[in-house]
Amino acid sequence: MSTLLRLENVSVRYRTNHASIHSVKDLLTSFANPFATKEILSDIRFTLNAGSSLGILGRNGCGKSTLLRTIAGIIKPSKGQLVVNGSVAPILALGAGLEMELTGYENIELLLSLYGKRATPVLVDQIAAFSELDDFTLRQPVKAYSSGMTARLTFSISFSQQCDIYIIDEVMAVGDMGFQAKCMQRIHALQEAGKSFLFVSHFPDEVERICDQAILLDQGKLILKGSSASICQEYRKLF
Amino acid sequence: MQFLNQLYALSKRNVILRYKHSLIGFLWGFIKPLIYLLIFIVIFSAQFSSVKNYVLYATSGILVWFFFSNIVSQGVQSIIQASGIIKSVKLPVLLFPLAEVATELFNLALALMVYFVVMHWFGMVYSIQLIWLIPILFIFSIFSFSIAIFLAALNVYFRDIGILWNTIQPAIFYLTPIAYTEALIPERFSFVIKLNPIYYFIKLFRYPCTMPQHLIHTCFLSVSASV
Repeated sequence: MSTLLRLENVSVRYRTNHASIHSVKDLLTSFANPFATKEILSDIRFTLNAGSSLGILGRNGCGKSTLLRTIAGIIKPSKGQLVVNGSVAPILALGAGLEMELTGYENIELLLSLYGKRATPVLVDQIAAFSELDDFTLRQPVKAYSSGMTARLTFSISFSQQCDIYIIDEVMAVGDMGFQAKCMQRIHALQEAGKSFLFVSHFPDEVERICDQAILLDQGKLILKGSSASICQEYRKLF
Repeated sequence: MQFLNQLYALSKRNVILRYKHSLIGFLWGFIKPLIYLLIFIVIFSAQFSSVKNYVLYATSGILVWFFFSNIVSQGVQSIIQASGIIKSVKLPVLLFPLAEVATELFNLALALMVYFVVMHWFGMVYSIQLIWLIPILFIFSIFSFSIAIFLAALNVYFRDIGILWNTIQPAIFYLTPIAYTEALIPERFSFVIKLNPIYYFIKLFRYPCTMPQHLIHTCFLSVSASV
């Protein structure tokens, strides 16, 4: 099995300006650096083989989304090494990258172009068909969509990509049962074709259905890694 | 190539977003300068009856000013407004302010098409020298872009920058000889104008439109060197 993803001691720090200075008075009276660094991830280390999928579990704010962004190449690790042997699809999170004022069609076109794809009519039709949103809906601005409809649109755009790693950040829950089943089917089909998934969810059952491996994060540290069944067990014990 | 596609897609989004839900859409691109022009004519033209072709003089200044001020005020906000996209797609962040420049170039091109025709009646000189507008606009775009990205980067951490820019913008506008001529400035304050980089660009832009015989080559080179 070839290695698809390897993280060695990856740390991520953010610069925030909310640390010491809260007002103009603070700014004028203290000569302190207005920036403070905050470590979001520290010393994350794991590998993922091609064809296997990884679930990422942890409490809110433990750094799951930051980890996904680091792997997607959006954030550079401040320390450590990240090796990705394959193409990574853009992160699939609720409403990620959608422009609220634009219509569904305009969003499909915009996002495809930003992903580096040509928005051919065939591709747009495929996406529209997968989303099961009708022509009238897709001509409406996205701000008029329900969260389920938004999820349908983002899912459909993301799944139209040919990539080695797909990243899903807590979006499954908002689609209706029919669409969830359809997404699950698509995920399994892609997995059979040898694709990998990185999957963040707060539902351990879902993680077990999609992933064979899992990690558990706590306050930016990786505290457990192993088979998804055993990690999900541990995760349930947390609460 | 892919970069150009992304730039095109973002600029197209900007154009769509700007005129969405507006009745006259694109027409705003030249109605806005027109309204300013009318205000100037009403207030100032009696004062400047000595200025040859005041309408042409003011219009060229207004167009250049709006080009600049739109790039900066949109560009400053462009990065924070795109946070949703930036957090989910791997993209060079500078693409967003750059798309604002492309959008404004498009708007200016539309406005110029109309004003080139209209200005015929206000003493515009048509000559091959108008070609100079292209490199001048190119350099001016780089100038505006660099101001925009500098402020945009600061604006990510301190939202004060965007507000500050909108507040001081009218001051810069009136410090630049757009509605009035530089001859009006008393000698001892002329340094204020000479330190204003936008002044040089507007002056450059005016030469080919009003007096193409002028040796703008040397002028052009000196400004590009200063940029």
